[in-house]
Amino acid sequence: MKPRSVPAARPSNRRARTGVTALTLSAALALSACGAGGSDDVATDDGESAAGAITVLVEGGGLAELQPVADAWKADTGNEVTFVELPYDGLYDRLSTELASGNVSFDVAALDAIWLTAFADGVLPLDDMFTDEVTADLYPALLDEAKVGGQYIGMPVWTNAEVLFYRSDLFEDPAEQEAFETEYGYGLAAPTTWEEYRDVAVFFTRDTDGDGAIDMYGTDVKGAVETEWLATVLQAGADGMVLDADGNVIIDDAAHKAALDFYIAPLIEDGSAPEGAAQIGWAEAQNLFYQGQTAMMRFWAHAYTQTPEDSAVFGKVGVAPMPAGPGGIGAVPGAWYLSVPTATQNTDLAKEFIQFAFDNNELGLNTALGLAATKPALESLVGVEGHENLAALIETLEADGTMPRPATDKWQQIVDTVLVPMLQKAVVGDADTQQLLDDAKAQVEAILG
Amino acid sequence: MHLSDKRFAALLMVPAAAFLTAFVAWPLARLVIDSFYEISPIKGGPREFVGLANYAEIFTSESFLGAAGRTIAYTAIVVTAEFVLGLATALLFSALGQRSSVLRTVFLYPLMIAPVVAGLLWRFLLIDNSGIVNHLLFRAGLLDSPNQIGWLSDPDIVLWAVAIPDIWLTTSFMTLVLFAGLQNIPGDLLEAARLDGAKAWTMLVRIIVPLLRPVIAVALIVRGIDAAKAFDIILIQTGGGPQNASQTLSLLIYQTMIRFREPGLASAMGTVYLLAMLAVATVAVWYIWRPGVDR
Repeated sequence: MKPRSVPAARPSNRRARTGVTALTLSAALALSACGAGGSDDVATDDGESAAGAITVLVEGGGLAELQPVADAWKADTGNEVTFVELPYDGLYDRLSTELASGNVSFDVAALDAIWLTAFADGVLPLDDMFTDEVTADLYPALLDEAKVGGQYIGMPVWTNAEVLFYRSDLFEDPAEQEAFETEYGYGLAAPTTWEEYRDVAVFFTRDTDGDGAIDMYGTDVKGAVETEWLATVLQAGADGMVLDADGNVIIDDAAHKAALDFYIAPLIEDGSAPEGAAQIGWAEAQNLFYQGQTAMMRFWAHAYTQTPEDSAVFGKVGVAPMPAGPGGIGAVPGAWYLSVPTATQNTDLAKEFIQFAFDNNELGLNTALGLAATKPALESLVGVEGHENLAALIETLEADGTMPRPATDKWQQIVDTVLVPMLQKAVVGDADTQQLLDDAKAQVEAILG
Repeated sequence: MHLSDKRFAALLMVPAAAFLTAFVAWPLARLVIDSFYEISPIKGGPREFVGLANYAEIFTSESFLGAAGRTIAYTAIVVTAEFVLGLATALLFSALGQRSSVLRTVFLYPLMIAPVVAGLLWRFLLIDNSGIVNHLLFRAGLLDSPNQIGWLSDPDIVLWAVAIPDIWLTTSFMTLVLFAGLQNIPGDLLEAARLDGAKAWTMLVRIIVPLLRPVIAVALIVRGIDAAKAFDIILIQTGGGPQNASQTLSLLIYQTMIRFREPGLASAMGTVYLLAMLAVATVAVWYIWRPGVDR
């Protein structure tokens, strides 16, 4: 396996050099292959834009939401919308690289709430679109979040928030109700407080087939994602999540400690949540619930209309706001915003599309995601069969405790390097939660400088 | 026009050289230059020369040093396991001779599977609560509960767990290369050793492995570099978690560049990574392979 020799004065040296060069290049190629992907140089075609066409960058759920809007826009104005659909992480990566290169392939992008501050410098202010009429129709938490550095940079198009899903067949079973009341002294219903939540979770944790292993747990504890813990921080009555309004790090305060203790209690104290929490994220939690392995699941409201037909729990799912803590009901809104990159040439048409999407916000309600962002749109289907999740969503969005994540461009770094690892340490079981929060405070302060 | 052989050879290399300059040398030069700057992640933002500050930061950063250590550990685990298994299989195939042809084909199948697919497959096999591996071990009575081993959620073992698909996927590559090398060992040499009364182990250690040395060197270097840049297979299984216990350098560089949006810092990490790989490859070439030294 030696490199093929070439006729040369000193074959051995030449061979050696060839070998080293080949290795150098292979190492270099190896490195460039694993580096961050370059941007696709598919710049928007100006000629085409002038004829009334825009490109919109969206995630899968966003495509479902915006397709009816695009169809209606085309019927109204003749303007075409081309969607570029990417998975969630891929969308972030694409936005990140394209905004860094200054060469964008889209005119409008649907941004997740947590990305707004990070991308604020790369998108246009939309202040002129936020008239009094517009702001009156939006929930305060969404307006707060859309404003970065004193300017509105994204128009909310649909919003989500975590709510509580539960097995309605079990909760409405008279035998279960009687057994629960006998044991706990109050009626079985969707839990409205932290205490009730823990009781119900313990009650439904059982070995259903008698093989000695628990087959159904009351709930899950998610250690791979942070948002649900942040929601419990709000329920605990904290002044903010991780940071207060002035930017001080408050992750070590009593409310954060209470929230962390409550968050891990089903796993650590009650045994009412399955092991392996460190790797349980959104998809895993859904799997557990849909397979009938958990009786309750805190999850994003849109999932109500998406229970798979072949799931063990299809048609047996009830929905309510997440249980309230000492600070009442609270959640982190998961809104998506439409923004216009500074680098696009197609600003006017892009803004026109965003305005149209806002004006026709209710079109998103009958899609696979089934969400909207404005009060009139969401309220239009309250009480309608099949949209029971909307009442829970609205109650959560209107709750005093509900607020957006802190506006810092280091948020993703705080989540990835501090919050998620901290939760993963907490779910191991023998951790001192106050110590974890103290350590987290030092880490967050170091990141923020 | 008269063209000397040397010039003609140089002329033939021009297209490749131009390609490599544009797509390898220039990006690499940019990488090194960027590592001395603090760069705004949005085009048009500030770009400030900071000298060696990025390097100072990474060499004092726990996450970088941790990821470097894990990259070395991961590479060592993967390459050692693949080499041992690969050599054993190659010897077996060699011993079986022509009868191994079907087995050899079957054995190559994992090599044709994309790492992302393999990672996803093993994630489903190993994941807690619903993973098949734990359920099988539980049914076989080896575990007390299906959740006893947290393959992907226990920080102490996760690096070993994420290495499994890599080993499963590329042991066949090692086998292929070593098997090809075994074919080139003269039969009369082995025959002579056997007549002299050499046992199997002696033949392996004293004859086969020394003769395979160049092949082994190439296989180890190629796989070592490949394993050290493991990215997709780990990303899909754990994303670097839990508690960053499976975060290797390439994942950290990706995270720093794309998620934390610090191009300068990520460039410094990339440069250090590149230099380390070059150093390892050079040392490996000179000490193991020694091209040009006819043995």
